[in-house]
Amino acid sequence: MTTLELRSGNDPAPATPTQALGIFRRPVATTGWKSWVFTVDHKKIGIMYGAVAMFFFLVGGSEVLLIRLQLSAPDNTVLSADLYNQMFTMHGTTMIFLFVMPMAAAFANYLLPLQIGARDVAFPRMNALGFWLFLFAGIFLNSAWFFGGAPDGGWFMYSPNSSGLFSPTHGVDFWVLGLQIAGIASLVGAINLIVTVINMRAPGMSLMRLPVFTWMQLVTQFLLLFAIPVITVALFLLSFQRNFGAAFFDVDQGADPLLWQHLFWIFGHPEVYIIVLPSFGIVSEVLPTFARKPLFGYKFVVFSGAAIGFLGWGVWAHHMFASGLGPVSVAVFSVSTMLIAIPTGVKIVNWTLTMWGGKLWFSTAMSFAIAMIVLFTIGGLSGVTHAAAPADTQQTDTYHIVAHFHYVIVGGGVMGIFAGFYYWWPKISGKMLNEKLGKWNFWLMFIGINLAFGSMHILGMQGQPRRMVVWPEKLTGDGFFNLGFWNQIATWGAFTIALGVLLFVINVYITAKKPEKAPLDPWDARTLEWLTANPPKEHNFDRIPTVHALDEFFHRKYEEVDTPEGQRLVRVKTAEEIYAEETATPDENMHMPSPSYWPIVLAFSLPIIAYGVIFNRTLCVIGAIILLLAAFGWVLEPSVAGVDEYDPPPPSEGDGDDSPKELASVG
Amino acid sequence: MTALSPSRRRRLAGVTVLAGIVFAGCAKNAPQDTFKPEGPNARTIDDLQRPLFYVAGLVGLIVFAVIAYVLVRFKDRGQEMPQQTHGKTWLEVLLTVIPAVILVGVSIPTVAAIFELDDQSNECVINVTGQQWWWEYDYTGKCGDVEITKPIVTSSELVIPVGTPVLLRITSRDVIHSYWIPALNGKRDAMPGSLRTLRMEADEAGIYVGQCTEFCGLSHARMRQAAVALDMDDFQTWVDNQLEAYTDNAPEPGSLAASGEATFINQCSRCHQINDLLATDGTPVLAEPDLYVVSGAAPNLTNLMTRTAIAGWTFDLLTEECREQLWDAPPAEFGDLYLQGVWMNSAADARKPICFDEATLRDWLRDPAAMKPMFVDPNNLSSTGGRTRGMPNLNLTEDQIDQLIAYLLERN
Repeated sequence: MTTLELRSGNDPAPATPTQALGIFRRPVATTGWKSWVFTVDHKKIGIMYGAVAMFFFLVGGSEVLLIRLQLSAPDNTVLSADLYNQMFTMHGTTMIFLFVMPMAAAFANYLLPLQIGARDVAFPRMNALGFWLFLFAGIFLNSAWFFGGAPDGGWFMYSPNSSGLFSPTHGVDFWVLGLQIAGIASLVGAINLIVTVINMRAPGMSLMRLPVFTWMQLVTQFLLLFAIPVITVALFLLSFQRNFGAAFFDVDQGADPLLWQHLFWIFGHPEVYIIVLPSFGIVSEVLPTFARKPLFGYKFVVFSGAAIGFLGWGVWAHHMFASGLGPVSVAVFSVSTMLIAIPTGVKIVNWTLTMWGGKLWFSTAMSFAIAMIVLFTIGGLSGVTHAAAPADTQQTDTYHIVAHFHYVIVGGGVMGIFAGFYYWWPKISGKMLNEKLGKWNFWLMFIGINLAFGSMHILGMQGQPRRMVVWPEKLTGDGFFNLGFWNQIATWGAFTIALGVLLFVINVYITAKKPEKAPLDPWDARTLEWLTANPPKEHNFDRIPTVHALDEFFHRKYEEVDTPEGQRLVRVKTAEEIYAEETATPDENMHMPSPSYWPIVLAFSLPIIAYGVIFNRTLCVIGAIILLLAAFGWVLEPSVAGVDEYDPPPPSEGDGDDSPKELASVG
Repeated sequence: MTALSPSRRRRLAGVTVLAGIVFAGCAKNAPQDTFKPEGPNARTIDDLQRPLFYVAGLVGLIVFAVIAYVLVRFKDRGQEMPQQTHGKTWLEVLLTVIPAVILVGVSIPTVAAIFELDDQSNECVINVTGQQWWWEYDYTGKCGDVEITKPIVTSSELVIPVGTPVLLRITSRDVIHSYWIPALNGKRDAMPGSLRTLRMEADEAGIYVGQCTEFCGLSHARMRQAAVALDMDDFQTWVDNQLEAYTDNAPEPGSLAASGEATFINQCSRCHQINDLLATDGTPVLAEPDLYVVSGAAPNLTNLMTRTAIAGWTFDLLTEECREQLWDAPPAEFGDLYLQGVWMNSAADARKPICFDEATLRDWLRDPAAMKPMFVDPNNLSSTGGRTRGMPNLNLTEDQIDQLIAYLLERN
């Protein structure tokens, strides 16, 4: 990523001198690795979130390729049963907790302050803490592979199969503690982003003028805020059972294994919306831009997003229709699940109508966004067939469900994320991803998804259950729907997707190498983040913009003019002109946070404590000491670095620098 | 259906045929086809599920058609910048109400089916207990017209009378499992510590294949089951077979099978019960699987050879040709063949059954964990206090295996 030139030339030059308290100084590097490790800049943190999430995407993807190889033939022996169980557990866990969620966090971190016209998030050091916690959680969780085996209970980790008796390796401990740490990262991020969106909007940026991406992220953060505590409780119960002899899920002592299922899915279903809502937001930005029309029914989309956020709490037991909850509960959850299809349907309708009457530019980002609508619709419709509980008792735990949620998560979530990559890449890196490669990337992924997950519908309807290391030859049938053929297609599909992702990685590499810079407004975009440089300066906006309308940036470029033939949209300014206006009179006082040593140190203490819980309690003490010291350092460091401490020193006046002359900093 | 134009009717027929091909499936579909109900409970589900797929498919087609139209019609061909319309409220409301109406239409039959499937009335109760990685069945009392005078404990293959509503009382001895015979009903989880019920009824004699569908650890993939439906008189015969006194098919003294009995008592009877088996000193041989196995249970082998597969219904006792013959048998002939089991196709005076897949059973006895992954490594049992999850390798000699097979072959 270093080749991407992600830094802007203008570093804040805090003017308030502060006394240096020995080690309690703010780090001051503006270049090199220190400028990344100690950064509190939301953009750098966003990029790091994205890079690490991408790495885990490749890890989780490699895991699934092994799974698909194993399933490509009957009674196959690529993976042992034990390894297979670990592999699918880690595939699910990695993709959800270490890829989709942090990738959504990457977009949120990078874009939310830009979209609302702010200079950074509300709590920049907490933001850094969140990232480092996520990174260490991911490393910790995956280190299980090297400490006797990865978790093997499935990402849902049903009790009592997750107890020490039935899963004696440390894998489940790594899973529990790793997710606990990742959960703190999500909580910290959620609080931070909620406060940021509520409090730090630019003048005139009322809630109903927020870009839809920001809206959907706001809903997502509220979901995280309330869902993470539930899984936290569940994880504590499980880890106390495994590590300290508690008996929350010990059936012999009267426990009911349903306790875990309820806790897990009360978290787990909102989690589905945590995964897809950010993509809904991305698509709601991309479609209007490339249709050259505002989002159809902005209010409907916003309110349906919020409605999903509320209704998402009332459907969790549809994951448990085979558990025997009794007909009344099942009926209630069956109907509530159908209810949530309504706001979801609203979104699909609005996206389609956004394109209606537009002037559609099929860029790569737009292709991904359109594919997202199509694939998510398929996932939604198969979802309705599962919502009918009696039908679900046939479908649950078969490949039909695997097909369904991959259409939702990959078709809905990941396609949206890729739309976001292509759309915002020039904003983030200052360079355009190659569109031709992008199209190949898109078509390979789109076709691959349909081959892989489309055939899984058939496999599921033919009764192939999930989570089985082998499927026997004698049960394949031999008609058109035989399991052998469709399993092979699914495997080919998986590799096709992998090829598409590989092309993306190549595209990123080629783009980083090429010298051409992206234009200021490559897509004729609509929202505030395009009002500033590519990539934005460290302080985002020289002058905090004043917002007059939804799609502020678009309305500064275009005006509706009455002509004899009726109203016509006329371009009145170029992006460059608007940018020049905005930078002509920079703000006098910019509050920029200084970097800090302590987020990474504090984050580092938690995996040490976690290793201690598993292996040796002395490590817990060491970790706790680091935690305590980091907290002291956090509190005692000065609110700002002295202006003369920067290395290299910030650019001085008069060397062609258009940055503001005077900057005050806060921590 | 009023006044459809011929062309629309033709199109409708085309769609129906296509849907029929897609969903009805041909005769040779995989045996766990979820769209091939063979009894009233599964049919209740199918009657809900099938129209649901049609509705979902239709809605999908409409949405995709609209999207395709939009993509073609409004492609950028250099037209003017469009009107910046922000929406039309009446259209929004309409397009919210339409899916709501569809979903209300779907939810009514759904709720009706939920309550219909909850019906517990039955003419037979069978206890079903899951454990890693096989199912145990325990028959008590009356089953249809057949009086069951003593408990029958069997495994993997559930035998039920045709046309009789059977209530399964399902639980587990260790982790959560899920009982599923797609042709007869949906899934029901087996929860340790509590009972769940599931009603099943088969229309015709035949074998209906299933699989444990709640992930239950190492050998989840090899925890299978089947339901065998027999006509009432065949079921009566099956019950009589199960309850036959041990002395009636005890091995002849001095035979290979008699040595097998001794080997069985030495090696196998720690975990596996054979009812009424007596030690040489005349005391009953009682299995104590709770001392050796985490779940505290091992399959009862009293009538092993009346089943067609072993080890969580994973490995066939029948040779492949005979298994296929049995599975493909028409309902009228099925019961007879099933009751013959491994002796299918054998002459009345044959000494060895030609349908018996001896090699598989032999491999199993040599090293079970090599065929089915289980938690039996003696160096790795500290977490379970020395008990296994699954069948350990008993290091039997080839002679012992010969004896055991001769003995087990008589357990019918």
